[in-house]
Amino acid sequence: MAEDMIEMARTPAGAEGALRVREVVKRFGGTTALDGAGLVLRRGERLALLGPNGAGKTTLVRCICGLATPDSGEIEMFGHLLPPSGGREKLGFVPQEIALYPDLTARENLEAFGRFNGLRGSRLDESVMWALGWTGLADRSNHLIKTFSSGMKRRINIACGVLRRPPVLLLDEPTVGVDPQSRERIFAMLEELWRQGTSILLTTHQLDEAEQRCDRIVIIDHGRVIAEGTLTELIAETVGVNRRVVFTLAGPVPKLDGLEADDERRELVAEVGDVALELPEMLVRIREAGGRVSDLEVHSPSLHSVFIHLTGRELRE
Amino acid sequence: MIWTVVRVGLLRMWHGRTEILLTFVVPIVFFTVFAFIFDEQIGLGKSPKVNLALVDEDHTPLSRDLLSSLAESEMLRVYSPAEHGAGPHIFNSVDPAEDLVLAGALPLAVLVPDGWTDSLMTAESEPISLQLLADSSDPVATQVVTALIRQTSGQVLAELARQQIATVLSLSSDQFSASAVARFTKPVGIDVVDLFAADKANPVVSMYAAGIAVMFLLFGAVGNSGTLLEEEENQTLDRLMCSELSMTQLLAGKWLLMTVVGIVQVTVMFAWAQLAFGVDLLGHLPGFMVMTVVTAAAAGSFALVLATLCKNRVQLNAVAIILILCMSALGGSMVPRYVMSETMQEVGKLTFNAWALDGYIKVFWRDLPLADLAPELTVLVATAIVLFVVARLTARRWERS
Repeated sequence: MAEDMIEMARTPAGAEGALRVREVVKRFGGTTALDGAGLVLRRGERLALLGPNGAGKTTLVRCICGLATPDSGEIEMFGHLLPPSGGREKLGFVPQEIALYPDLTARENLEAFGRFNGLRGSRLDESVMWALGWTGLADRSNHLIKTFSSGMKRRINIACGVLRRPPVLLLDEPTVGVDPQSRERIFAMLEELWRQGTSILLTTHQLDEAEQRCDRIVIIDHGRVIAEGTLTELIAETVGVNRRVVFTLAGPVPKLDGLEADDERRELVAEVGDVALELPEMLVRIREAGGRVSDLEVHSPSLHSVFIHLTGRELRE
Repeated sequence: MIWTVVRVGLLRMWHGRTEILLTFVVPIVFFTVFAFIFDEQIGLGKSPKVNLALVDEDHTPLSRDLLSSLAESEMLRVYSPAEHGAGPHIFNSVDPAEDLVLAGALPLAVLVPDGWTDSLMTAESEPISLQLLADSSDPVATQVVTALIRQTSGQVLAELARQQIATVLSLSSDQFSASAVARFTKPVGIDVVDLFAADKANPVVSMYAAGIAVMFLLFGAVGNSGTLLEEEENQTLDRLMCSELSMTQLLAGKWLLMTVVGIVQVTVMFAWAQLAFGVDLLGHLPGFMVMTVVTAAAAGSFALVLATLCKNRVQLNAVAIILILCMSALGGSMVPRYVMSETMQEVGKLTFNAWALDGYIKVFWRDLPLADLAPELTVLVATAIVLFVVARLTARRWERS
């Protein structure tokens, strides 16, 4: 069954995608958590879902998993409309919390969640063995989860969500609270799944994860998807591709065209399309105006600047 | 520094309403329950009347006077079956009254044996004693009625003595001692016949074992059901609901676990009672097992309802402590229900502790067959089913928001 699912995920991308969310609305009393949110997770894609706190990420994930029922809208998986609950055998879910039994061993947890997901007999044994190897925790298989480090718990937490080898995987902040080394390990695990064809949707507060580990990015705010695309596309559509150059001066200089100055006129900022061509000319103009540049920074447009541009807020606000 | 420690503690208590509840409200609630149980001044009822049957096998004016006087006592309620018309009924033979005591319908029967009056009138032989056929599971009733018989018989015999005093006055001192009237100066003899405990080893211990077992069965079940709330807090419940497991299966699994653990818990307790105190568990195994299974099942459903209604484990613990202690107090796990007022005994019937204990008493004390457990089994099974359905309905909040 797992092989069938992976095979399905490897099938050339069709129009339907692995997961498609259309105009989903979800209200809690007078609060609208999702206000027509929609996104597409393509087959074999890694998609990052970003948004400030309270933007609707968790509600969207819960709707996709069947833990919340949308008031309106549709959710499709491989072209089939998902019912409000059930019918999500092809979907793996990894919650943000360590959703494990701390007083069971790693193996016992894996066996329990394997059984809850319908695995039995040799298939269960094989899946547990695979998961222990995949997480690199085979030698700790008989240790209680509560004795594990945060990173190790995270790895087992993810493994429990993919025992059935689902072709679509949802991860809610899979690396929160782990050290950089464990984070690398977790992304290496996810990359292995991705290379095998798994389509991955993850929510994260780590912009670098979205930039470096995902193929596309979806930004959600106030319950609506406000941007969707690759990093390059998002930059081009929002802040533009110009570099931001900041000159720090030893002393104040007179006003210069094309350069914004702070109140003390000791810091100048410019938007530069071609750094190699325009930067030398600017340095000459500053020197001719009597200024002496003590420091210089060139900022490339980033997801952070895109995010601030779109939401007006930091990611964790 | 010390003041800061105190201040932080007070602030934490203030922010944690549950702690305030446990600290201040629970003792008041618990005190109130016990006040209702023991204090007749509150108005929920007076001290319980003792139910009993009267048997007159002597059929003399003196025996009739004695039993009629007893029947007028405000502390007694004489068995009055509808088929015998209004007013207290006095049996002519002991068998039906004894059957009532053995069946647990009454705790006592007072028997005036045949020849009692004659034995009082004859100086040559020892007088025959009155008999008190007792279910000694209610020792208070036995003592109350013994005292009442002594008081009433004293009054009746004093009246008889007054009537014969003229005759006695003409007797010498030696002749007086040899006369029947001299008997009237001594208290009437009363033999208490315990219909249950005579051939049992520590039968009362079995009742206390049952009381304690049911109370801790509830505590154990609630502790177990709290795992649901832990699973909710750490999102394991979300993960489970995303799997092939349904909420009904999850609750059924939790319920089955609590029931099995409860059965083992009570069995271990009674096994210890047999080893240490000689309670005859093996001799009552079928009845014990039936009662234990249904009691544990009802306790499991009760715990599930509490868990599905509470927001978190702290709240569950607070609510459970209040409810279980109150149910145990009212239901007889802490204080035998026969010491409570009649009103409180009726209130106790609303708890399944009372039904469970009544069932165990029938098994261990009265040696009744399984068929006689029907009322208790019906109530406990119905409780288990209804509460499970309620838990299933309230658990819908975890399925889809």
